[in-house]
Amino acid sequence: MSYFLQLVASGIVVGSIYALSGLGFVLIYKSSRVLNIAHGQIIAAGAFITYALTVWGGIPIYISFLMSLIITFFLAMSVERVFLRRLIGEPIISVIMVTIGLMSILDGLIYMTPFGAENFSFPEFLPKTPISLGGVSISWTQLVGVIITVILIVGFTWFFKRSTLGISMRAVSDDQMASMSIGISIPKVFGLAWATAGFSAAAAGGIIGNITGLNFDTLRAFGIIVFPVVILGGLDSVFGAVVAGIIMGLIQQFAAGYLDGNWGLSGTADLLPYIILLIILLFKPHGLFGIHEIERV
Amino acid sequence: MAQNRWLATGNFFTTYREEQRIFLTHLDRLLFVGLLVGLFVWPLFLEVGNKYMLVIDNILIAMVAILGLNLLTGFAGLISIGHAAFVGVGAYTVASFSRMLGDTHVLLTHAWPLMILLAGGVGAVVGAFVGLPALRLKHLYLAIATLSFQMIFQWTINFMEFFNQGQTISIGRVSWFSGRVARQEHYLFWYYVCLVIVVISGLAVRNLLRTRYGRCLVAVRDNDRAADAMGMHPGFTKVYAFALSGFFAGVAGALHAYLFRGAGFESFTLHQSISYLAMAIVGGLGTLVGSFFGPTAMIMLDLQVENLSEFFKAQFSAALDLATALRPLTFGLVIVLFLMFEPRGIANWWRIVRSYIKLWPFRY
Amino acid sequence: MKNKKTMFISILLAFLLILAFSSPSMAGETYKIGFSGAITGTTSDVGVPYSKAIEDYCRYVNDDKLLGDDKLECLIRDDGYETEKTKRNFEDFMDEGIVFYLNYSTGSSLAMGKDFDEEKIPTITASYHAGNLAVSNYAFLPIVSYTSQAIALAEYLVANHKGDTAQVAMFIHPSAFGRAPVEDLQKAIAGGLKMDIVEVVEHGKDLDNTAMLQRWMNKKVQYVICQTVQPPVATMLKSAQGLGVIAGTYGEAGKLTFLGLHYAGGPDLVALAGSAAEGFFWTTSYKLMTEGGAGTDAQHALAKRYGRDEATANSQNYTNGVQVIQIAVETMIRAKAKGKKITRQALYEEMLAMNGYNAYYPLTTVGPVTYSKTDRQGVDMLQLYRCQNGVFRPVGLPFAFTAK
Repeated sequence: MSYFLQLVASGIVVGSIYALSGLGFVLIYKSSRVLNIAHGQIIAAGAFITYALTVWGGIPIYISFLMSLIITFFLAMSVERVFLRRLIGEPIISVIMVTIGLMSILDGLIYMTPFGAENFSFPEFLPKTPISLGGVSISWTQLVGVIITVILIVGFTWFFKRSTLGISMRAVSDDQMASMSIGISIPKVFGLAWATAGFSAAAAGGIIGNITGLNFDTLRAFGIIVFPVVILGGLDSVFGAVVAGIIMGLIQQFAAGYLDGNWGLSGTADLLPYIILLIILLFKPHGLFGIHEIERV
Repeated sequence: MAQNRWLATGNFFTTYREEQRIFLTHLDRLLFVGLLVGLFVWPLFLEVGNKYMLVIDNILIAMVAILGLNLLTGFAGLISIGHAAFVGVGAYTVASFSRMLGDTHVLLTHAWPLMILLAGGVGAVVGAFVGLPALRLKHLYLAIATLSFQMIFQWTINFMEFFNQGQTISIGRVSWFSGRVARQEHYLFWYYVCLVIVVISGLAVRNLLRTRYGRCLVAVRDNDRAADAMGMHPGFTKVYAFALSGFFAGVAGALHAYLFRGAGFESFTLHQSISYLAMAIVGGLGTLVGSFFGPTAMIMLDLQVENLSEFFKAQFSAALDLATALRPLTFGLVIVLFLMFEPRGIANWWRIVRSYIKLWPFRY
Repeated sequence: MKNKKTMFISILLAFLLILAFSSPSMAGETYKIGFSGAITGTTSDVGVPYSKAIEDYCRYVNDDKLLGDDKLECLIRDDGYETEKTKRNFEDFMDEGIVFYLNYSTGSSLAMGKDFDEEKIPTITASYHAGNLAVSNYAFLPIVSYTSQAIALAEYLVANHKGDTAQVAMFIHPSAFGRAPVEDLQKAIAGGLKMDIVEVVEHGKDLDNTAMLQRWMNKKVQYVICQTVQPPVATMLKSAQGLGVIAGTYGEAGKLTFLGLHYAGGPDLVALAGSAAEGFFWTTSYKLMTEGGAGTDAQHALAKRYGRDEATANSQNYTNGVQVIQIAVETMIRAKAKGKKITRQALYEEMLAMNGYNAYYPLTTVGPVTYSKTDRQGVDMLQLYRCQNGVFRPVGLPFAFTAK
C-alpha cells in the first residue's frame, strides 16, 4: 500500500513539474497558435541563468531565481520582437520552422558558454532529510518545486481570468480580427505571451535543474517531454496542462513501478504517454480541456 | 495566331490540356533533358571524393523522402512530425530481411530493386495506418499523432530483440551486372540508382498533380468541406496522402539502408524528422521544385557551415568552443533569416527567376 | 521592403563568398589523424574535453617535435552523435589520406566496423563496447571493455560482500552502450559468480526514481551497478539521498551501495549530484587528476600550455582523449624508429606489436597499454575509486582483469 501511495506522491510531484514546463507551450499556443519547438532551450537557459547568478554572481539563490525569471521574461519578449513579429500573418508552418531555427541558435549560444560542455549543480540550500509521512517520502527539493508550481499556476489562472491583459490575450486567441477591432494590440499580446512563457520556462528550468543537476542535454529534452502533456490537456488550456501533467506523471510512475521489470518490459515510462495520448486523441481530438472545434470529415 | 512553341512570353492557352502540359515550351523540355543528361554524365568527367559523393547521394535520398513529405504536408496540408519514422520503416523493412535471411542473402544483394519497392510498399501500408487518425484529427493535433508514431517507432526499434535493439543491422554489398559493387564504386553506383529513382519519382509526382487524385489533395488542403461538397472524399484523400508519403519515405529508407550498408536507430529519430520538415519548408511547401531545392540547400548549408567553423578553428586556435558553437548558430540563423525574409521558400525564388526570364526583356 | 530585400540578398552573397574561400588550407607533407565525435548534441559533455585533449596533444607533438621534422595534422570533426555524419567525416578523412582514425560513439563504431576493415585503418574508439572488436579486426579499445569492467566490478562486489548471495540491480542506458555488459554478466553468474541480478532497468528521462528505489529495497537489493552516463545516475542518487537509502559503508545491510562503470562516474557525477554522490564506487583505468603524480602534472601542464580552464584540465575525458592520441602518436614514433614508411598498415602492425616489453605506458593510466592479435583492449588494469567528501579517492590497488 505504501508503495502505491509513494507512486502517487511521486507522480503528483513529477506531474506538477511537467505542468509547469508545459505551461509555456500553452501560453504561446493560446495566443498565437504557434508550437514553440525551442521551448526546451528556454528552460535550459533559465536554469543556467539562475546558476550563473548564484555561483558566479554570488547572489543568494532565492533572489537569483527570481532574477532569472525576470531576465528570461525579457529575453523571450525580445526573441518574439526580433524573430517572430515579422512573421505575423505568415503561414503557421513557417513560424514553427522559425522556432526550429531558434532552437539551433539558442543551442549555439549555449555552446558558447561553459554550460554547453560541462556539468554543474546548484549549491545545496535545502535540508537533505526527506519529509516522511506514513511510508511516503518526498524530498525538500521536490516539495519546493511543487509549491512554486502551484503558486505560478494559480497566478496564471488568476491572470487569465481576471486581469485586463489576460482577458485581452484570451480574446486574441479566440478571434484575432474581432479583438483588433476593439483596440487590442495583437503584437503586444504576442510579445506578452512569449514573455510569460519564458517566465514559466525559467521557473521550470530552475526546479528541474535542482532535481537533475545542470546538464544541457537533460534540460533541453524537457521541451519534447512535455509535448504529450500539453496535447493531452488541450493545447489552449492552462487548467488542462495542469491536469494532464499530473495524469502523465502518475502514468509514468505507475508504468515504472508496475510494468518495468515485469514481463521483460523496460522503459515503458517514456513510451506510455504517447500511446495513451494517441488513444485519447482518437476519442477526444482536442485533448481533455481544449476548446472544441470539432470538424468531422 | 500560331504559337511559338519555343519561347512563350505569356499565356496563350486555348484548352485545359495545354495548361496541363508538363513542359510549357520546347525550350523547357530541352533544358530539362539537358539537365538530366548532365546529371548522368558529370561523374564520368569530374572526379569527386567519396565524401562529396556520399553527400550527393544523401541529398538525392533526402529528395525522395521530401517528395513524400511535400505531398503530405505541402499539397495535402497535413503536418507530419514523424517522417523520419516512415523512412525508418523502409530501412527496417530491408534490415528485417537481412535479420531473417542473413546480410548477404541473394534476395538482398541481387534483388535489391525489388527490396526497394517492397520497402516502399510497407511504408505505404504503415503510412495509411498511421494516417487513420487524420479522419478525426486536424492541424497540430494530427501533427502530434504523427509525433506519437515517431515515438512508438523509436521505442519499438530500441527495445525489440528482432531489430537488434537499435544497433546497426548490417546489409551486404549489392551486385550489379558487372559483379559485386566494391567499396570504391559504392557511392557512384548508388548515385545512379538514387538519381534514376529521383527522376522517376519526380515525374510521377508531377503527373500525379495533373490528375484528379493530385488535385484532390490540394482541394482538401484548401477547404475540405468544399471538397466534400464537390464529390471528393476528404477522409479517403487524407489517408491516401499518408500512404503515398509513406511509399516515398519507404523507398528513401531502403536506399538509405543500402547506401549506409545497414540500418541503425540513430538515423531515424525525432531530430531527423524535424530536419526533414525544415528541408521541405526551406525548399517551399506545396511546390514540386521545392522538394529538390530544400534538401540540396540544407545539406550543402550544413557542409558549408562545417567548413566555416573549420576555418575559424584554423584562424583562432584554441577557440574550439566558438567553432563548435558556430555550427548550430549559423545553421539556425540562416533558417530564421531565410524564413523571415522569404517564408515561401526557395521555390519562390525559382518562380521569380522563371517569370523574369519568360518575360525578358520586358518587366511585365 | 524592397531595400531590405536587396540588403538581405547582398549579405547572403557576401556570406557565400566567405564560405567559398574558407575551405581549410594544407601545407607540406604531414601525417594525418582523423577524429569524429560528439562535440555538440548528445554526450557533448564528454566529447568536448575529449576533442580538446586531442587538439592540444596534437599541437604539443608539433611544438615539441615529437615526430622530428614530420608534422602531425589532426582533423577534428563534430558529428553530433549521428552515425550518418560520422560516416561522412570518415569518408572525408579517407579522402584526405589519414593514417589513423579515432572514433567516438558505440553506434557508429558498430555500424562502420566493416569500413575500418575494408580500408584497413587502425581505429581507436571512445566506446568500450566489446562488440566493436567483434565487427572489425582494426578496431581497438583504449581500456578494457564495458563487459570486463562490469565483471571486474561484480567480482569485487562478490569478494567483499558479507552474508548470503548478493542481490544486485542494474541501472543501464537504453541503448547498445548500456546493454553491452548485461548479457556477459549474466553468463558470468551462470558460470559460478555468486550474485543474483534482480532487475535490469533501462532508464528513461526520469525526474524521480523513488518508486524504483523502493521496489529494489522491497526486493532486498543491496547493490546497484550503473552503466550509463552521469546525469541519470545523478538523478537516481538524489532520489536515493531523499529516501536515505545510500549505504554509508560498503555493502551496509538494508541500504543500497552504488557502483558505476567508466562513463557513469567521475568528477562530472560529483558536479551533478553534489553530496548525493558520496560513497559512489566507480571503476576506470585512468588515474585521476586529483591524485597527483607524474601523469597529473603532465596533463595539467598540457592543459595550461594551451589555455584550457580548470574544469577541462581535471576532466577524466580530457585524460581519455590524450591517451588515445598518445597511442596513435606512439605507433608513429615506433614505426619511424624502425625506418618504416608511415602507412595505415605499418601503424596497424605497430599496434599489434604493442605488448610484452613493447607495452606502452601513457602516464595517466593505471597500467600499460597492451595490444596483440588476440587482445585489442588497451589498458588491462582497473582501479576502483570511491567518492569521499566530493572527491573520488582510490580504493585498494589497481587490479588486472580481462574477460575471457
